[in-house]
Amino acid sequence: CALAPELRARQLHLGAEHALLLGADGQVFSWGGGRHGQLGHGTLEAEPQPRRLEALHGLTMVEAAAGGWHSVCLSETGDVYIWGWNESGQLALPTRRLAEKTAPGEGGGDGADTKGGASTEDGAPATFIAVQPFPALLDLPLGSEAIKASCGSRHTAVVTRAGELYTWGWGKYGQLGHGDGTSLDQPRRVKYFVDNQLHVKAVTCGPWNTYVYTVEKRKS
Amino acid sequence: MAEDGEGPGDPPASTDALWEALWALLPHTEEELGLELGAPVDPSAAGLLRQAAGLLYAGRLDACLQASEAVLDYAWEKLNTGPWQDVHKAWRQVYTFACLFKALCLCREPREAGATAAALHVCDLGLLMGAAVLGDILIQVAAVLQAHLPARKRPAPSLQQDPPDTKKPRGSLVPAVPPERAVPRLHRPALQHFRTHFLLPRRPVILEGVADHWPCMKKWSLQYIREVAGHRTVPVELGSRYTDEDWSQTLMTVDDFISKYVERETTDVGYLAQHQLFEQVPELKQDIGIPDYCCLGDGEEDEITVNAWFGPRGTVSPLHQDPQQNFLTQVMGRKYIRLYAPQDSEALYPHETHLLHNTSQVDVENPDLERFPKFAEAPFLSCILSPGEILFIPAKHWHYVRALDLSFSVSFWWS
Repeated sequence: CALAPELRARQLHLGAEHALLLGADGQVFSWGGGRHGQLGHGTLEAEPQPRRLEALHGLTMVEAAAGGWHSVCLSETGDVYIWGWNESGQLALPTRRLAEKTAPGEGGGDGADTKGGASTEDGAPATFIAVQPFPALLDLPLGSEAIKASCGSRHTAVVTRAGELYTWGWGKYGQLGHGDGTSLDQPRRVKYFVDNQLHVKAVTCGPWNTYVYTVEKRKS
Repeated sequence: MAEDGEGPGDPPASTDALWEALWALLPHTEEELGLELGAPVDPSAAGLLRQAAGLLYAGRLDACLQASEAVLDYAWEKLNTGPWQDVHKAWRQVYTFACLFKALCLCREPREAGATAAALHVCDLGLLMGAAVLGDILIQVAAVLQAHLPARKRPAPSLQQDPPDTKKPRGSLVPAVPPERAVPRLHRPALQHFRTHFLLPRRPVILEGVADHWPCMKKWSLQYIREVAGHRTVPVELGSRYTDEDWSQTLMTVDDFISKYVERETTDVGYLAQHQLFEQVPELKQDIGIPDYCCLGDGEEDEITVNAWFGPRGTVSPLHQDPQQNFLTQVMGRKYIRLYAPQDSEALYPHETHLLHNTSQVDVENPDLERFPKFAEAPFLSCILSPGEILFIPAKHWHYVRALDLSFSVSFWWS
C-alpha cells in the first residue's frame, strides 16, 4: 500500500467510484475509478492504490469532499481546488450542456430542467470543459475564503469564513437552494441565509439535497 | 382528487389518435409490465418505478411524469457508475421503463408544441442506453411518434442531389495507392475460396459485386436519411480524432447533425461513428443486407454487430485494431484505408494506457518518424473503397480510415 505507516489520516470521502483521503500533513490522496478525471492525477486511468495528488504538492489542505464523480479540497488559505466531471457545471467551469438552449447533451436525458449559467461575458464562444483531470483553482466571488465544502452526486456547496454559502452544479431538484431548478456552472451565493441574517457554519450534502447548519447573526 | 390526464378507465373523452396508438402498445394491466426487479436495483428505486407505473395506469399523468423523471435521473447515475460493460442490465431496464413512462406522459393532452419530438428524444435515450423491455417496446413507441410528427415537404427534384462534396476534392487530398500495396479485389468469390485464401490466412480483400445491389446504394441520400431518421437522437463524435484532447461525444438529432456537420463547410468535425443505427431505426435496416460470407463464422446472425459510420469529408479513424472480423461496406462516398498486419504491431507503437491499447500512437498520413522510426518500414496495404464495395478487415488487423467525400459506411463485426 502506498500510504506510509506514519501517515495520520484525517478525512476519508467516497464518491461513486473513488476515494479521497486527507492526511494530517495537508496532503491529499485518491484512488479508485478515474474515468471522469475524479482522481486528479491528470489521466482517466484507475488507480488501484492510494496515490498522492502531486499537483497539490507544497499546498496544505484542510478540508476535502467527494461528489459522485468529482472532488474538492480547501487549502489553509481558503482556496478551493476542484476536479473531476463537469457535466452539470459541478466544477464551476463552463459546461456545454448549460450553454445549449435546446436538447440536452449526454446528461440525465431529462430536458425538463431549466438551463441557466454561464457564457463568457463578451459573448465569445466559451471553451467547454466536460472533464477536468487536474485540480483547478476556483475563485469565489469577492475573494471569499472557503472553510467548509461538501458535494452531492453532481453539485457542490462551499461555506465561507464570512458565513455565506455558495452552491453550483446540478440543480434540478432544488439542491442548490436558489429557489428554482436551475443548474449553474458558476458559484452563486444562497440568498436565503443573507436575507434571513443567518451565519452559515457548516454544510453536508446528500446525493440530491443539501443540509446547512447556521446560527443567527448577532443583532448589533 | 381530480384526475389529471387520460387513463385507461376513463370514457374516451378525446379522439387523440396519438394517445390511443401509444396506449395500445402497453400491456392491459400494470401487473403485465413485469416490474419485479431484483438486485442490484434497490427497493426504493424499484418502489418509485412501480409507483410511477401505478400513476400511469390510474391516469395521473402529471404525477407519473414527476416520478418517472426521478427514476430516470437515478438510473442514469447508475448507468454512469463504473465501466459500461459492468453496468447491470437491471439498471438499464429501469432506465428504459422510466423513458417509456416519461415519453408517454409527455404526449398527454393538452399537448405542448414539440411534445411529440421531445417524447421521441426520450425514446431514443432509452434505446441508446437502456436494455430492451416488453419486447423492445421503445422501438414501437418511436415508430408511432415518428408517424405523428409533421411530414417533411419533398423539395423540388433539383435540390434532391447531395451537396457539392461529391465533386472531386482539390489538390492532393486523394492519396496514391501504389499497385504493389493495393488490397486485392475479387468479384463475388465463392465462399470456400474466400475462406481458404483470405479468412483463414487473415488477409484483407475487397469484395465487389456483393453489396452493390443492396437498396441503400440507390436509395440513400441526405434527403432520404433526413426523411427516415431526421428526428432521431444519435451519438456524435466531435473533434478530429478520438485520440485528441478536445475530442468528445454528444447527442443530437440526425437533422442537426446533417445541418451542422455534414452540409456545412465547417472546420469542426462531427462524425456519427460506431452507432447501431439500424437497431434504432429498423426502417433503414431494410435497405441493407448481410454479407453471405458471415456464415463462415462461428456466431449466429443475430450476434453480428452492424454499425453505421456517417459523416462529412475528412473524418479520420486513427490506426487501431478491433477484436472481430469486419466487413466494411461503403454506401455513400469514398474512404481511404490503410491496413497493417497484427504481427507488425511493434512498429505501430500502440498506446500504453489500458484505454487506448488498441490504438496506435502514429498519425498514419503524417507520421513523426523521429518518435516512431520503425513505422516507416512497416509493410501495409491500402485502398480507396468506393460505394458498393466491401472491404474484409481480418480480426486484429490494424486499420486507418479517412473519408475522401461525404461518406456513409456500414460495418459488420462478426466472429
